[in-house]
Amino acid sequence: MTQTTLLDPTAELQPVERQLRPRLASLSGATVGLLDISKPRGKEFLDEVESLLEEQGATVKRYSKPTFTRVAPAALLQQIGAECDAVVEALAD
Amino acid sequence: MLDLESRGLPAGFVASCEFTDAAAAQGRSLGIAPKSVFVPHPIQDRTDAEMAELARAAIDDVRALIAES
Amino acid sequence: MNTRHVLIVKKNCPTCTLIEPLIPLLAERLDGGLSVYVQDDPAFPDNFDAVDDRELEFSWRHGIEIVPTLLRGDGEGSERVFGWDRAEWREFTGITDLGEGLAPHRPGCGSRTLDPGMPEKLAARHAGFGARKVDLAEAEDDMETCFERGWTDGLPVVPPTPERVMRMLGGTNREAGEVIGEVPPNRVPCTIEKLAINAVMAGCKPEYFPLVIAAVEAALDDVFCMHGLLCTTYFSSPVVIVNGPAATRINMNSGVNALGQGNRANATIGRALQLIIRNVGGGIPGGIDRAVMGNPGKYTYCFAEDESDSGWPSLAMDRGFARDDSVVSLFAGEGLQGIVDQQSRTPESLAGSFAASLRTVAHYKYFGVCDAILIVSPEHRRVIREAGWSKADLRDALDERLRVPADSILRGIDGVAEGAPESLRGKQLPKFRKGGLHIVSLGGTAGMFSAIIGGWVAAGERGSQMVSQRIE
Repeated sequence: MTQTTLLDPTAELQPVERQLRPRLASLSGATVGLLDISKPRGKEFLDEVESLLEEQGATVKRYSKPTFTRVAPAALLQQIGAECDAVVEALAD
Repeated sequence: MLDLESRGLPAGFVASCEFTDAAAAQGRSLGIAPKSVFVPHPIQDRTDAEMAELARAAIDDVRALIAES
Repeated sequence: MNTRHVLIVKKNCPTCTLIEPLIPLLAERLDGGLSVYVQDDPAFPDNFDAVDDRELEFSWRHGIEIVPTLLRGDGEGSERVFGWDRAEWREFTGITDLGEGLAPHRPGCGSRTLDPGMPEKLAARHAGFGARKVDLAEAEDDMETCFERGWTDGLPVVPPTPERVMRMLGGTNREAGEVIGEVPPNRVPCTIEKLAINAVMAGCKPEYFPLVIAAVEAALDDVFCMHGLLCTTYFSSPVVIVNGPAATRINMNSGVNALGQGNRANATIGRALQLIIRNVGGGIPGGIDRAVMGNPGKYTYCFAEDESDSGWPSLAMDRGFARDDSVVSLFAGEGLQGIVDQQSRTPESLAGSFAASLRTVAHYKYFGVCDAILIVSPEHRRVIREAGWSKADLRDALDERLRVPADSILRGIDGVAEGAPESLRGKQLPKFRKGGLHIVSLGGTAGMFSAIIGGWVAAGERGSQMVSQRIE
């Protein structure tokens, strides 16, 4: 596939590389979603991550993909988007 | 992951270090690389206690996936 | 003087293959030697080491139209012969026995630089652009990336590739690098090229581009108060009205559904202005744009006036232009308020309907606050004209009906707290400041409905005034 080049329509005040969202200022008071991608041992890893993040002041919500073989369904992503301030996916192996 | 970012959530993922190259390649091909933490391989035959230990060892990096402090 | 000679050829050209045997002789006998550039097959000619010009950069830069071309010198002072004419080439090269065994003349072939689509492609490939290049990653979808980078108005845009931008720039004689002004609120200097990039995204054709440029120039006029308009919590945003031959040349709609969807010029010219304000100016909803509700016209709001009645002056003529001037006028306006009148047989009656509806612009007790545009439909215009009234007569009748005693619209009157302040008690107040009511005409010919575009709650010198700009 040939590479596409576009010309920047903006005032060019932002970096040209696509940026990720800014990170949370702090965990305290935040709702963090932990999304289990449903590979083996991921749940056990996230169980410990959950309790450690709670110690650090976050509220944790747990989610899991129905199967690791396909991308997360839209309804699940919408739910996480509505209920959480940040999300960690684990554990790809 | 990028879908969740586009919904306004800072997001990151945890993978075993076997994934390092694949993740980098995908980041290059999409033009943007999600934040990631890699933990030592292997994973599948670990005990519950070993998984908890992996999590404790990685927790600072995991926090940094989504928060400044 | 060592003047370089360059021969530009392509293998797929019988004239170039005809003169191929001459090449070593030319290289030997010409002053300064000879370079050969080949447009298609680097192995051609067999008897000489040619430079591979398959990217056509050299050919494009030197304006090669026919092959073979023999070029001497560079730039302004260069001379050339093309095709094969033995007498001409002998004179040009000074080699009096050149091409003795060959046919005396043979026309050349078209240069590959003139193949269909090539001029724009080559200009895009080899010309410089002022704007930053955004190289997409291999798996990045060009349409999605425009959304993800925040370049759109919520609808998909045409990804602005260099070729598309080059084609858009072909729609104007203005230089790509010319700075047109500083677009608020960022106040970053904006070039014609930046306008072209956004015009591409809006879906404009190159022939619409002069109207986009004129609309932006109007928006940057201080009197239009673009910055203030952007920051307002009110509904208003720029409305673009086109008069004159330019509108018909690009098939703008001034008839059925002219304020609705379906016409590319109407849709994309208005949209280009909005994208420029957003992308170059930085006027983004939730950012500096804090409109409480906004209005759908903020996607696009652009139309041409119906100028079919030669006895009815156009908006541009009201503003001092000639009927055959092409003009863009910009108004800070919002939405559309419909006026039904299927009963009036006299212009007096119709003026009464119009005035009663105009009185409610912004608030029925706000006088002297907003401007407005009254859009008279062809059927209503007919009622007015058949009675022998001119547009000026209509305006006079409206002015008369739109002046009320302040006491009837003070705050508290009718049990409504809003209204004119007490300090105006005893005065006669006009609904619109002098010059604040604009009258245009458009629409389909079946339908006794006219309409109002209400203006911003800051008008005149303390707010926005309509600005008209000639289209070049």
